[in-house]
Amino acid sequence: MTFLGRLIIGDTKSANQLWFTLALVIFLFFGCASQNGIPGTGTPPGNGESTREAPQQLGKSGSEAAPAAPPGDKSEEDSEKISDEFEDEMAAELDKEFAEKELDEVSDPFSGYNRSMTVFNDKLYTWVLDPAGRGLRFVLPEYSRRGIANFFDNLLYPLRLINNLLQAKFANSGEETLRFVTNTTIGVFGLWDPADKWFGLEAHDEDFGQTLGYWGVGPGPHIVLPFLGPSNLRDMFALVPDYYLDPATYYIDSEKDQLALRVFKEVNKTSLHIGEYENLKRDALDLYPFLRDVYEQNRAKLILE
Amino acid sequence: MRTLTLAVILILGTGFLSYADEKAEVLQLAKSRIDRVVGLLRSKGISKVERNKKIITIINPIFDFALMAKISLGRKHWRPLSAQERKEFIDLFVLRLQESYLDKLDLYTDEEVVVEEAVTVKKRIHVLTHLVTKDDKLEMVYKFYKSGNNWKIYDVVILGVSVVQTYRSQFRGILKNTSFADLMEQLRTKGGFTIPTKKFKKASAS
Repeated sequence: MTFLGRLIIGDTKSANQLWFTLALVIFLFFGCASQNGIPGTGTPPGNGESTREAPQQLGKSGSEAAPAAPPGDKSEEDSEKISDEFEDEMAAELDKEFAEKELDEVSDPFSGYNRSMTVFNDKLYTWVLDPAGRGLRFVLPEYSRRGIANFFDNLLYPLRLINNLLQAKFANSGEETLRFVTNTTIGVFGLWDPADKWFGLEAHDEDFGQTLGYWGVGPGPHIVLPFLGPSNLRDMFALVPDYYLDPATYYIDSEKDQLALRVFKEVNKTSLHIGEYENLKRDALDLYPFLRDVYEQNRAKLILE
Repeated sequence: MRTLTLAVILILGTGFLSYADEKAEVLQLAKSRIDRVVGLLRSKGISKVERNKKIITIINPIFDFALMAKISLGRKHWRPLSAQERKEFIDLFVLRLQESYLDKLDLYTDEEVVVEEAVTVKKRIHVLTHLVTKDDKLEMVYKFYKSGNNWKIYDVVILGVSVVQTYRSQFRGILKNTSFADLMEQLRTKGGFTIPTKKFKKASAS
């Protein structure tokens, strides 16, 4: 109750600050995206925005290989029957299916900014987070780091509970509650996860972004956040309630200490997944759209669950 | 009325049965291949090169790599290509997919792969599996379609992320700004792969 109380009445000052900062950040982003023709990092030369507004006319602008095809599919079909090897029904059907899914994620007004931020986050990971994670891995054995991760994860129970309830997932809410009770007691303050290991109680991670998605709020444009990585408009706003339901926010007074704790959590998490980001990254032909799709597709799935 | 109901049940029933048969067949197919791959990953006395060769021969027959290449590029971009370009594209893409798959297997330590169930979706069959790691359960879905008499994989979806869809979106972006030749060049050099060419130098994609 205390944290809810603070959230609603008590702590309005810092809440206002946070909202203000967020609003400022958003406006900065929007400003960036709408004003420059986005120089640098691999965006189309010249007509940056007009190409993005015409998603259907794929392969139109400046491509030598693809002829200037009319946007409609049918007129194209007549002229190019000869070289079409999609006559096989299944291939055509699958092609159509994948093409339909494509349309959902076509709007990407901030791609110029997002690209730059992706490069920034990538360097940050490679030069700071990864070495820090490796350092921690060197000094702490795996079971300790896993215990730490479990401990923090257990503390996020209020966040998961509220979001499960908001999505009317009552059985999952119950399971989460049993998990919390079990892991806090038998699992010694959440350091271990006997709920899963011994009793088969599964975690049901839900955040506000998923809750909004569950009730039909679309993702909005993709936005890469500094330090935090890929996100979108919906999930970005959802960070605010998520932030206030994190015990680090309502138990620790000093903002410096909060930040230190969050950084430590992140480094600890990284230390348990060394090498995975690099491995994933090797699949990318073009890192930004790759990470964007991975994020958006994964979120869409989490919301459906 | 009763006979009618019975007839309906019988007809539907046989329909379901044939589906059930195929589902069981595909499930078994996926399970046996996955078990063989996991077995190889767990065996100690085999060199990595040898192991990878064996893994490729296990998975090759059940993957329709050519179809994956086609639908990843998409009909629109596939059409203008000459026969020669198509062949080159498929060859390169398939090598890349295989290399990527083997690369992922390097992350394998001692996780268990649980093949859960097969689901029929529009004449196709999705096989749900879980990779059980120490702190997580990762869902992987293998999507099969019927090619002649065989069931083959046309897409793999890991945690909701479709391999084909992700490539498709990147290809579309690249082809919007550059030519097919550039795309081929990027397929050869971008990322961190050694099989297509050994030109690779930089880890990050520009």
